[in-house]
Amino acid sequence: MARAFAAARSDMAEYLHIQSGREQAVRDFIEKPPEADVSLDSPIPEKDFNSAGKGSAEVKNLLKRLGVNPEVLRRVAVSAYEAEINVAAHSQGGEMLSHIYPDMIHVVFNDEGPGIADIEQAMVPGYSTADEMVRELGFGAGLGLPNIKKNADALRIRSEANGKTQLEFLIFFNSDE
Amino acid sequence: MNKEESQYYHALYILPDNCTGCTACVRVCPTEAIRVRDRKAWIDPNRCVDCGKCIEVCEFHAILPHSDPLDLIQNFKYRIAILSSSYFGQFTEDISYEVAKQAVFELGFDEVQEEAMVTEFMISMIRDYIRGNRAKRPILSSNCPTVVRLVQLKYPSLLPNLFHLEAPMSILTSYIRERVMEEKGIPEEDIGIFLIVPCPAHMTAVHQPEGAYKRLQDGAFSIGMIYGRVHEHLKNLQNNPPQIDTYPKGLTWALSGVQAELVDCEDIRTLSVNGVENVMEILSRVEDHYLDQYDYIVLRSCTNGCVGGSFNVENPFVAMSRIKKMIKEGENAGLDTQGLEKLYQQGEFDVSPLAPRSILELDKDIKKAIMKMKKLNEILTTLPGLNCCACGSPSCYALAEDIVQGKATIDDCVVLLRRHSKEED
Repeated sequence: MARAFAAARSDMAEYLHIQSGREQAVRDFIEKPPEADVSLDSPIPEKDFNSAGKGSAEVKNLLKRLGVNPEVLRRVAVSAYEAEINVAAHSQGGEMLSHIYPDMIHVVFNDEGPGIADIEQAMVPGYSTADEMVRELGFGAGLGLPNIKKNADALRIRSEANGKTQLEFLIFFNSDE
Repeated sequence: MNKEESQYYHALYILPDNCTGCTACVRVCPTEAIRVRDRKAWIDPNRCVDCGKCIEVCEFHAILPHSDPLDLIQNFKYRIAILSSSYFGQFTEDISYEVAKQAVFELGFDEVQEEAMVTEFMISMIRDYIRGNRAKRPILSSNCPTVVRLVQLKYPSLLPNLFHLEAPMSILTSYIRERVMEEKGIPEEDIGIFLIVPCPAHMTAVHQPEGAYKRLQDGAFSIGMIYGRVHEHLKNLQNNPPQIDTYPKGLTWALSGVQAELVDCEDIRTLSVNGVENVMEILSRVEDHYLDQYDYIVLRSCTNGCVGGSFNVENPFVAMSRIKKMIKEGENAGLDTQGLEKLYQQGEFDVSPLAPRSILELDKDIKKAIMKMKKLNEILTTLPGLNCCACGSPSCYALAEDIVQGKATIDDCVVLLRRHSKEED
């Protein structure tokens, strides 16, 4: 299972963003990823906007049962939903894997598709490569990735052209650090 | 049966003799509040939101709404009825608005007032509130008591977004009580004010109001019960049409869509949502800030708004059509809103901040909650996943949750029991 922030291969484009103040905690996680207490996985079918969003809704309900702070919950829900829509809109389908720990959540999205040619550019608000069909459905405004970056404590994207793309983010449950 | 103590009143109760344990109510409950144990349904008072879905679905009349007895008005010298707007959608079109209203006097009331009187005032108060609370966008309507309880139970992060002023029937109650005491010199304890309500949630709200600084009404009667009582007076009144004030333009309050349209204006964008499933989906999206473009969201648990309440006798679509006709054709009697304005400025319509009543947490301690979640997932893999309800819990997931919380055992699963007994053969 592709759980941790594993080492990248050289033929892959990579992007990593960590919110300031979280560097040490994120590095600790990358170096020694612990065993997850609870995991959830859900498939994301290609261009299926009816079921896209189900995985993030499931995660939100699970976190509510754990009594996670509502503001943190919202950040997880927004990040997961945006990433889920991205996979549905751009790839040939993929999966969402959520790993829950007592102090944080780690969510991984794997897909097969065109890949993200220029990740830095994709992080610019308003930049979008979404096709006509996706835009007609009201998605593809180019705010997905910037929104995840804003809400997650750490975001990493690794992508190979015409191959696998992996997006993962970490969100800590306690907001003071 | 494990009867948990609860501080919560509910306007519905179970008649165990009628209950067959069929689980129809268990499946339909939006907050998973009902379980069948020992072949009888039981409602968790901490989870019930008084939506009335179980009353509607029960074929055996085993879940009944609570209504105060009409005799209750005899305890007061001066009796006032306040009619919910949906009342006027219940009658066939040969019965006029005036006749339907006058008929309530015949039951022994000294005054009959209407929720519809204050609709216009409410709309301006709501607009005022939205403009003064832009940071809490979107504001969520709080008139439907089921919606308020749903927010407390399942979406507590949205509590600050609820419209924090009294509902129209409560505003009217304060205003009328004050006026009658002043104009007629009747002492407070002699005045009885009663609501004629469309649903169990409003019945509960009269007996246990959320956020109210004082209890306002002296009782409530269901529209269905009043409808049955006024019937014998209708014929007589039709022959002698009464001359009384009516407020057809205000009947919009019974219809969630029309109410949203009225609040909507240049600087306020509104959305109208009805039906409990839709309400829950929208609340979840508001929680994630996906509906921040709206300033005001009208949320009603019943189809089309209060016309869909389970105490009504007419179908919600027919009732809506009749009310729309009345709104179109009628003219309001004049109403001096100075008195209302004064009470509003004095803060008489304020409600206290509402407290969360979260029902979802498995445990207060997150480490323990995670342990329970792990166990829950383990149990879930052994359950058949049919969601058949035969155990008395609404789904396999809910049974796993009940087992983890010590409220059920794996032996409650009928399907597993059957499989095991076959293996033993």
